[in-house]
Amino acid sequence: MHRIRFLICALALFAVAHTDAQPNGQIQNSLVRITSTEVEPDYRAPWNSGSIGRGVGAGFVIDGQRILTNAHVVSNSRYLTVERENDPNKYPASIQFVAHDCDLALLQVAEPNFWKNMKPLGFGAIPTLESTVSAYGYPIGGERMSVTTGIVSRIDFNLYTHSGIDSHLAVQISAQINPGNSGGPVMQNGKVVGVAFQGYTGDVAQGVAYMIPTPVIHRFLKDIEDGHYDRYVDLGITYSKLQNPAQRHFLGLEDDDRGILVSTVIDAGPCGKVLQKGDVLLSIDGHPIASDAFVDYEGGRVQMPEVVERKFKGDTVKLDLVRNKQPMSVDIKLGSVWPYFMQGHNYDTRPRYVVYGGLIFQPMSLDLLEAYRISDLRVRHAFDFFVSEQIYREHPEVIILTNILPDPINTYVSAFRSAIVDEINGQKIKTLQDLARAFEQPADRFVVKMIGDGPPLVLDPKKVEEARERIKTRYNVVVEQNLDEQPPAKAPVATAEK
Amino acid sequence: MNIRTLLVFFITALATSTMVAAKKPAAVQKLPPSIQGVVQAKEVSLVRVNVTGQPFDYFRPWQKKAPFSKRALGAVLPHDRVLVTADLVQNQNYVELERAESGDKTAANVAVVDYEANLALLEPIDKKFLNGLQPLELALDTVVGDRLNAWQLEASGTLVVTEGIVTTIGVTRYPADVGDFLTYRLSIPMQYRDNSYTVPLVKNNKLAALLLRFDPRGQTLDAIPAPIIAHFLKDAENEKYPGFPSLGISFFPTRDPQLRSYAGETGKPGGVYITSVEPGLPAAKAGVQAGDIITAVGDHEIDQNGNYVDSLYGKLEFSNLITSKQFVGDSVPLHIHRAGKPLTLTVKLEHRAEEDYVVPPYNVDDPPFYYVLGGLIFQELSRQYLKEWGANWQKDAPQDFVYLDRFQSEIFPEGKRRVVILSQVLPANNTIGYDDFSYLVVNKVNGKEIRSIGDLAEAVKTPVNGFDVIETLDDPKQLELSVAEVAKEAEALQKNYGLPALQRLP
Repeated sequence: MHRIRFLICALALFAVAHTDAQPNGQIQNSLVRITSTEVEPDYRAPWNSGSIGRGVGAGFVIDGQRILTNAHVVSNSRYLTVERENDPNKYPASIQFVAHDCDLALLQVAEPNFWKNMKPLGFGAIPTLESTVSAYGYPIGGERMSVTTGIVSRIDFNLYTHSGIDSHLAVQISAQINPGNSGGPVMQNGKVVGVAFQGYTGDVAQGVAYMIPTPVIHRFLKDIEDGHYDRYVDLGITYSKLQNPAQRHFLGLEDDDRGILVSTVIDAGPCGKVLQKGDVLLSIDGHPIASDAFVDYEGGRVQMPEVVERKFKGDTVKLDLVRNKQPMSVDIKLGSVWPYFMQGHNYDTRPRYVVYGGLIFQPMSLDLLEAYRISDLRVRHAFDFFVSEQIYREHPEVIILTNILPDPINTYVSAFRSAIVDEINGQKIKTLQDLARAFEQPADRFVVKMIGDGPPLVLDPKKVEEARERIKTRYNVVVEQNLDEQPPAKAPVATAEK
Repeated sequence: MNIRTLLVFFITALATSTMVAAKKPAAVQKLPPSIQGVVQAKEVSLVRVNVTGQPFDYFRPWQKKAPFSKRALGAVLPHDRVLVTADLVQNQNYVELERAESGDKTAANVAVVDYEANLALLEPIDKKFLNGLQPLELALDTVVGDRLNAWQLEASGTLVVTEGIVTTIGVTRYPADVGDFLTYRLSIPMQYRDNSYTVPLVKNNKLAALLLRFDPRGQTLDAIPAPIIAHFLKDAENEKYPGFPSLGISFFPTRDPQLRSYAGETGKPGGVYITSVEPGLPAAKAGVQAGDIITAVGDHEIDQNGNYVDSLYGKLEFSNLITSKQFVGDSVPLHIHRAGKPLTLTVKLEHRAEEDYVVPPYNVDDPPFYYVLGGLIFQELSRQYLKEWGANWQKDAPQDFVYLDRFQSEIFPEGKRRVVILSQVLPANNTIGYDDFSYLVVNKVNGKEIRSIGDLAEAVKTPVNGFDVIETLDDPKQLELSVAEVAKEAEALQKNYGLPALQRLP
């Protein structure tokens, strides 16, 4: 009696598990476990290759024998392997495309055996609020697939922490997501509705996790169709809501809850020569902009930048606006706004630097400031206000004397640590290349003027040359400079039409 | 930074000790009988000072914060005056002197106060109140290695003496963060008492110094030395207190041979490199320029670290030659090298008053100015306002304000102005849509440049087509109010938020 009931119970349970617990089908045939060996750049000893670490994440197969995952699962990676459920082999993989600004990446696997029995997953739409979703992945590094479920809690713009500066649409879900879930599919009714990518650490908030919704994924997949990933495009403006009746009245606006006020136009951005401070934007591509900066778009109420988000480099957007009470419209050819890049995390690049006379000069960036924990008020100000006060005009790269490798030739200059280089021998230093070039000029001495009221740093090139090998050897400076990357690209030319 | 932390710690520690001291039986180091005899022959020249202070609330500039009390000691000086630190009497509403033995009390006035040197003189209302107390003379000859006695009082009025040793004499930054002054540093096993705020340090029954700050863990004490007190007392004899003089320069050592060679220095090492000269201040008026090397002040040569040799203390930062030894109005010859050529410039010394700064470094006793328009609150940026963010204000306050404060002379070299800010917005009908704005620097109002709160009050008298147009440095860049609507709502706003007045102007 007993035994039979147990059996029946077990069977019932199994049956239940079979029908209900896998409403999304055999995810095992689509899910992969990704192991990445990465090299973290060392900004404090930039000539070194950096520290080697290993991380585990998830990914899933989509059409065209491709694996979709998060950019942060594979960033800075030097060696990648993928594993399938129920297959003992590790397959080497490579990155096909990576988009750090929306935290997505595509991988490819050359070994044909890997693709045997693998089923690509299809995509669904943005799930509705309160509907149930399931997240698949390898939380905290386990070797077997894990499933968690939750509901869709909120759909809104959110910061993507991988870059630290980009905000896109993100869907908040209540399913438990932990490290190792990253890159895994979030499913509903057998379709992928998102890629799990970020959450909070324990004491901030619980039951709050985020997934990248399909509009962002589709945009990424479309962007790379030409074989190259361009970044997200941006208008490069800041704006204020227009909810104050007196302000609306002053600007000659009707009482129709429409329009936002342009506060700052970043001249390095696509609106640079087209828009002006004080313009009132009334509609974007024909969609009216409400006074709280929301737009009715594709059946939902979204923030105005969402309209731009869906577009690509070189696309145009039409803005209707009021300038000095006169209506006009302009077409903006979209592009990205390079001065922002410095304020976000960078990946897959080597730190750039110049060592001269034991002094390490490096361009300011979020990664650099974090590595050195620079608290110098002047540097912090240059960082925070780099875009809004258009510091990039004079200093497209802010070159900081980050550290000093002590030697008799530089023993009296420690006070210059964290100073920002302004000029060398009267020559404005706009980029790291400028600095490297300035130190190559024949001169009796180099007078390095720092930003602000302070003494100049004076270097004798002959003494620096004498000390060069000594410093290189003592501090194991393998290479004295890395000028790799090109200076920031020029902003695309905007076109106006009145 | 270190010093500031230390000071704050000191004050908080004192505040706590005030509360517990009465209950805690203190392990008191009694006087050796011999000394005790000497001191008690006449009553010690100390009085208790009870101060009720009430600082202005810079976040709500129309009101004062809750009052609080401080107890301290004052040193009795000739001419019926009592010396205390300026810290003690800042924002005071009421000062009371109390005789240690009898407990008699009288109210007192603050006759002179100098927040930069952290010294204040009190005068009892009852002129006979200090009768019978032997005034303290100053001991001006303290040197490193001397032993000084810290005088504190027990609850009973009995004197408690702790001996400390002077370990260092140098020039340090004083709490007001304006000037560097001569300081004695002592190693002393002192305890907290309910009167530790102002502790006199005495040498042979003469006043040698007054406590500036104390680190109880390291048992190190910094003190305002008698030479600074003497300077203060001499200044206090004037009808109008002139304050300590300053040159208005920043300098950098010339130890680096590469810098020396750049500056044209070929001779023997010495002198400091002038990195900046504050416009309108004495050095600038005398013609000193950035890039000059100051080699000597008067007869005193300056070494490459910026020290001269003091006859009493040995090597000391040369700013002491100005602050301690000179007075406002004195002329001092500065020997400089410019591009290697010697030059002597005569500087007529002045005091840089608190109101001469763009961002005033301290303005404790003056009520903050403000102007409420619609629900927008305008104020002038000051260090006192920034300090409302607490001990870590340099990190916690809005960073663009901290930046403006720190680099004010670089950003506003012409000076003679204030920075007017839109500090916060009181939600009201007129400020709908503006509620999230705060900490904005105001550039213009109704098209007029705003360089003081007075400018703003003037500018709102000429609205633009019935609107007040406010332009800010950062986003949103512009906001407007309807003059008629603002006027209509003013009374309700005032009542709603309990504003005694919508403005306080100079």
